Amino acid sequence: MSKGEFYNEISKAIVNLDEEKAFEYANKAINESMNLLDVIEKGYAAGIRLVGELWEEGEFFLPELMRGAQIMQNCLDLLIPHLQKGSEKISRGTIVIATIEGDIHSIGKTIVGTMLRAYGYDVYDLGADVPAEKIVEEAMEKKADIIGVSALLTTTMINQKKIIDLLKEKQLVGKFKVIFGGAPVTSAWVEECNADGFADNAIEAVKLVKSLLNQ
Amino acid sequence: MLFNDWLKDDSKIILFDGAMGTQLIEKELTIGKIPDIMNVEYPDVISSIHKSYYDAGSDMCQTNTFGSTPLSLKRHKLENRIGEIIENALKNIKEVRPTECLIVGDIGPTGEFRPPVGDASNKDWYSSFLTQVKLLEKGVDLWHIETISDIEEMLTAIKAVREVSKKPLIASITYKRTKKGFFTIMGDSLEKCINMLDKEKIEVIGANCTLGSQDMIDLLKNAINLTNKPISVKPNAGQPKIDGNKTFYEQPVEEFAKDIKEMIELGAKIVGGCCGTSPITIRKIRDVIDSF
Repeated sequence: MSKGEFYNEISKAIVNLDEEKAFEYANKAINESMNLLDVIEKGYAAGIRLVGELWEEGEFFLPELMRGAQIMQNCLDLLIPHLQKGSEKISRGTIVIATIEGDIHSIGKTIVGTMLRAYGYDVYDLGADVPAEKIVEEAMEKKADIIGVSALLTTTMINQKKIIDLLKEKQLVGKFKVIFGGAPVTSAWVEECNADGFADNAIEAVKLVKSLLNQ
Repeated sequence: MLFNDWLKDDSKIILFDGAMGTQLIEKELTIGKIPDIMNVEYPDVISSIHKSYYDAGSDMCQTNTFGSTPLSLKRHKLENRIGEIIENALKNIKEVRPTECLIVGDIGPTGEFRPPVGDASNKDWYSSFLTQVKLLEKGVDLWHIETISDIEEMLTAIKAVREVSKKPLIASITYKRTKKGFFTIMGDSLEKCINMLDKEKIEVIGANCTLGSQDMIDLLKNAINLTNKPISVKPNAGQPKIDGNKTFYEQPVEEFAKDIKEMIELGAKIVGGCCGTSPITIRKIRDVIDSF
């Protein structure tokens, strides 16, 4: 099997949600001392991109999307410790995400977190109903590149703005990119808050993060 | 039983109520709180919203118990207050219900998903729904399980209702529109859901929320050919918009009522509204029904 074919097989295993195969290929790559960064990017990441596309097209649904991302994550957990020291850092960036205070809806935010992890980002998911102060504090501590704030309700969406206000107050504007998510969020709202962007779904969120980090 | 008579009467179109949450937003009463606790904290407001729907012409209104299950209340650390919440919910609607109208026990999703999306089990769902149904049973005339996005969760909720109650049951799933037709977010197609619901001990098959009235017309055109059971529709009034700190729904009431008229002509037996609808919407639909 050529390298290209091997990457294809990995990608196929992810799309077929075949965890056994996906693990088998990860172990093979480790045992044969392959370039694991290539294996991750051209095999696993390519697979999860396809899963995301199938979901956007309505071929896949939430269970397939989540399962695909979980398999991807499990394989990354297996591969990453074997990356040689001093080789290119695997993390593509650090993201702190949370559902804003007053809002206990976590499913959308969790899906976004899972997808970002699957794409190789370090994600710190602070959970739901998290005060703006706590989110900014954690972003400082984790040296985050991006803060992602979710709100499902129009009534709690208002609280997303608190993050921006707090960053202004603490003179931290520009230190983090701030992105919004959640059903009621619109571009007009993002503009009004001076946030850096919003995404309609988890795949869009990954695209947004990539573009904000110039990747 | 009045409801079953209505179902048998071909000339009767049953008018359901409109949104509770949107009305609470109007009254600026929802910041960070589950509407169910308002049964205890603002009983007069809840009663007045029910009354406004009955006054607008609803034949039946549902209890403010969408999230009154232990699983849902737990996320708000309110699970210990479920008895008090449901007791008050029943009282709030009973005191304004006109004698010729009905009270519907409202059951919403638990908000917990099964793997791989979440970690809920059928057992968790069942015991949660059962607790809610047992507390509501004494005060309701019929049931509405609504906004469910997983057919497995729906079947579990039906099982819990049927364990306790022989009263009529409406089972409403929430669908989104995809290129391939109408599906739940969990991937259950409209066809699959209706085929499965058709075999259940339920009186009415429904669809509510997510879809606006235009999409609901298209869904109904499909659904009507898939079952002989009566169909209930409660679409949203378009999508929410924010203006400053206020939420509003853009779709004009006349347009919504016109779409509902088309749904009645297509064969919908029960009509009402979900998010974004108000007593004004229901009043308009009353006029539409009365004009038939």
